[in-house]
Amino acid sequence: MIPKIVLELKGLNKSFGGLLAVKNVDMLVNESSISGLIGINGAGKTTLMNCISGIYRADSGSLDVMGVSCLNWSPHDIARLGVGRTFQIPRIFKRINLIDNVMVPALNDNTDNKTLYERATECLDKVKLYDLRHNNAEELSGGQQKLLELARIMMFNPKIILLDEPFAGVNPTLCRLMIERIKEMREEGKSFLLVSHDLTSIYQLSDHIYVLNQGQVISEGNVDYVKNDPEVIEAYLGNA
Amino acid sequence: MAKSGTIKPDDFSEEISAQRLKSSLWYAIITVLILSCFLVPLQDGNLSFMFSLMMWVTLATGINFIAGFTGYMPFGYVAFYGIGTYVTAILVKVLGVSEYLAVPAAGLSGILLALLFAPTLRLNGIFFAIVSLSLAVVCQRLMSLMPEEITGGSHGLNLGVATDRTHGYYAMLIIMFVALVSASWLGQSRLGKALKAIRDDPDAADAMGIHVSRVRLYAWIMSAFFAALAGGAQAWFTGALDPITAFDVLITAKTVIYAMAGGLGTIIGPVVGTVTLVWIDEIVWQQFPVLNNFLLGLIITLLILFMPRGVVGSLMQRFPHLRKYIM
Amino acid sequence: MNTILLLNGLVGGVIFGAIYALIGCSLNVLCGVLRVVNFAHGEFIIAGSFLSYVLLTLFGLHPILSLPIVTIAFFLIGFGLYYLLIPRLAKSDEPETSSFLLMFGVSLMMIAAMMWIFEADIRAVEFSFDPINVSLLVIQDAYGEGRDGRVIVPTARLVALGINALLIIVLTYFLYRTLTGKAIRAAIMNREAIQIVGINIHSLSASAFGLAAALAGITGVVLAFVVPSIDPNGGQDISLIGFIIIVLGGLGHPVGALIAGVLFGLVEQIATVFLPQAAAQMLGFIILITVIFFRPQGLMGRMTLR
Repeated sequence: MIPKIVLELKGLNKSFGGLLAVKNVDMLVNESSISGLIGINGAGKTTLMNCISGIYRADSGSLDVMGVSCLNWSPHDIARLGVGRTFQIPRIFKRINLIDNVMVPALNDNTDNKTLYERATECLDKVKLYDLRHNNAEELSGGQQKLLELARIMMFNPKIILLDEPFAGVNPTLCRLMIERIKEMREEGKSFLLVSHDLTSIYQLSDHIYVLNQGQVISEGNVDYVKNDPEVIEAYLGNA
Repeated sequence: MAKSGTIKPDDFSEEISAQRLKSSLWYAIITVLILSCFLVPLQDGNLSFMFSLMMWVTLATGINFIAGFTGYMPFGYVAFYGIGTYVTAILVKVLGVSEYLAVPAAGLSGILLALLFAPTLRLNGIFFAIVSLSLAVVCQRLMSLMPEEITGGSHGLNLGVATDRTHGYYAMLIIMFVALVSASWLGQSRLGKALKAIRDDPDAADAMGIHVSRVRLYAWIMSAFFAALAGGAQAWFTGALDPITAFDVLITAKTVIYAMAGGLGTIIGPVVGTVTLVWIDEIVWQQFPVLNNFLLGLIITLLILFMPRGVVGSLMQRFPHLRKYIM
Repeated sequence: MNTILLLNGLVGGVIFGAIYALIGCSLNVLCGVLRVVNFAHGEFIIAGSFLSYVLLTLFGLHPILSLPIVTIAFFLIGFGLYYLLIPRLAKSDEPETSSFLLMFGVSLMMIAAMMWIFEADIRAVEFSFDPINVSLLVIQDAYGEGRDGRVIVPTARLVALGINALLIIVLTYFLYRTLTGKAIRAAIMNREAIQIVGINIHSLSASAFGLAAALAGITGVVLAFVVPSIDPNGGQDISLIGFIIIVLGGLGHPVGALIAGVLFGLVEQIATVFLPQAAAQMLGFIILITVIFFRPQGLMGRMTLR
């Protein structure tokens, strides 16, 4: 059975003035999979994420989400196609409580209040934030806010989720929880593109890894391949 | 999805009861307010003061929709109020329309003006504030420039004995009632939640599927609507207006201060803040008229520095368990 | 005949333009360095006028001589106000809107204080230069045979222009050639970076506030030369003009404000030749709104607030 392609990039380019931040990037993400994206700081990972989610308009190349070409679409429209995203610095809604935070993606749905509420509490429960549901989001710690972002994404129920440094600054227990949830969501058919410096988690989770350096993909493959690729070792991993 | 152990089985019904508690307390407060306002004319009380109180409560509640819920501070809010007064006065005096029709028409004019000014919502924080203020000034100058037969030019209009004061008073009461009920509804509705999401992070809200420009337009129109109605009722009650007082920046200022002092973003806040400060204003004005504006300025300065979320907002920050009772 | 009016408008435009340029420049320093939208700027200017009025009536001090006193006094006031007000502001949910509201509160207090001290009457600053007027241009037979048209300027206004021009030169030199001035411009461009290179952002900001206040005070004194009546309630209109100027010229760009100020002065004064007063005033706001929508970075600006 041919796996369904959820995200496909071909020859994507993005420059800022004279600086070529993303250079001729090809990428393929299948249904029900987790792709890691690693590289040194400044390699272009976040820029690439921004191009995919529509915050930046790429200069050239193609961007297909669920088979739909969406190269110059706005973030709003790309999100509607089924692309969810978290941010390095969590963008939660600070002055509203956790339940309302999680309910935001489903406010336009045709469900009754009871179902909406129950779905929201389930998402919160999955990230173990249920007990804090009446607290305002600004009262959470940084790690908890990342979990909240994850819960909100669960509610949004997209096909593909872009995670930008989800584990940065999160304690190991919460990291494990996040990893469990991500794996669960993969089993449910979702796909992930995961940017992280936390190599342990990347190796645990990724079916496929892309290595970015100076805007270009210098290597890709499964965990073992990438770990042992001499180019990657030189550019990023060092001689461990 | 399987239910986890931590979620209580009757969680939702508990949530409903909690909401009911909050709204009951709120309805109790506004019932007291409305009843006392209702009884004043029957007891020969101070009509002017109570009218004023109702007007400020309406204005503060109105501005809360766009400022407290959506995060846009309209420094030219008085434009909607002013248009309301002028449309009512012109309809009554120049076209001979009855006040009962003129005031709702004023509300409509507020909505139209809001639609006209809607593009300004695309602007970020400080540009929005400056443009809003400039638009109010432009409206004021326009009213004084227009032909005297229509707007009374710089002298304004006098409705004379054509208007019945007591009816104007009750019109304001009805308007305030509608405003408060709308606020109750918004505080519990999905629209209210969407607006607060826009306030806190418009781009994230957008990425989560909220139609930002449409949703905030609703709040904008609601705010303008009540300001215009309040202006219309004012024209009815006092029977006179001029461009300077109809578009006075102090009206926006006081509305903002009263609403902020209570707590923007809460439903109770603007009411509490207004009632408290209007009383204080009345007392101070009787004794020390010159001190009045100074105190106003001092209050807003202290508010911004020490209690930007107002009394209610700060209380909820300090004592989170109070959130169960406060709408 | 129209030529005379037009030329008068032109001269007035340059004179007022120079004042607007100064207002815009001082406001820009505040907005740019501190991200504080100073709604009380107009009141600072009026206060400057009042101070020179007081010095004139109580001590007979000629307004030109009061300039140094006003400068120092206002610098100190500005410096102190910074530490009193601004650091807390940085912690709020929305620093810019909060600063707008805060300074609005300050402006209300200042108006009330000035009204209390001076009462609501408009005061006239009574002094004159000799000769009172200067005739700049004579167009023979402009109003018919034997009746010449004159372009006349009150000497006081010429003096004001002279002082303004001098100030603008000094200010530009300060901002572009001295170390503190360059630091201020750098802070406008990148607030974080300047702290990394070791500059104490607080004392720099306080100095910027002091500078802006001093400029406002001076503008007030000079304004009294041009419009010799001081209205305690006139501050708001002045502040709004200030905002128009800085948006036109580009937020945070001092030279942009100077150019925009002169341009705006010219447009306004020439417009009053052809339009009624209220319409000419409206023109300014319409220009502001148009610029914000179509070119928010202004004539020369590179930054937009936030």
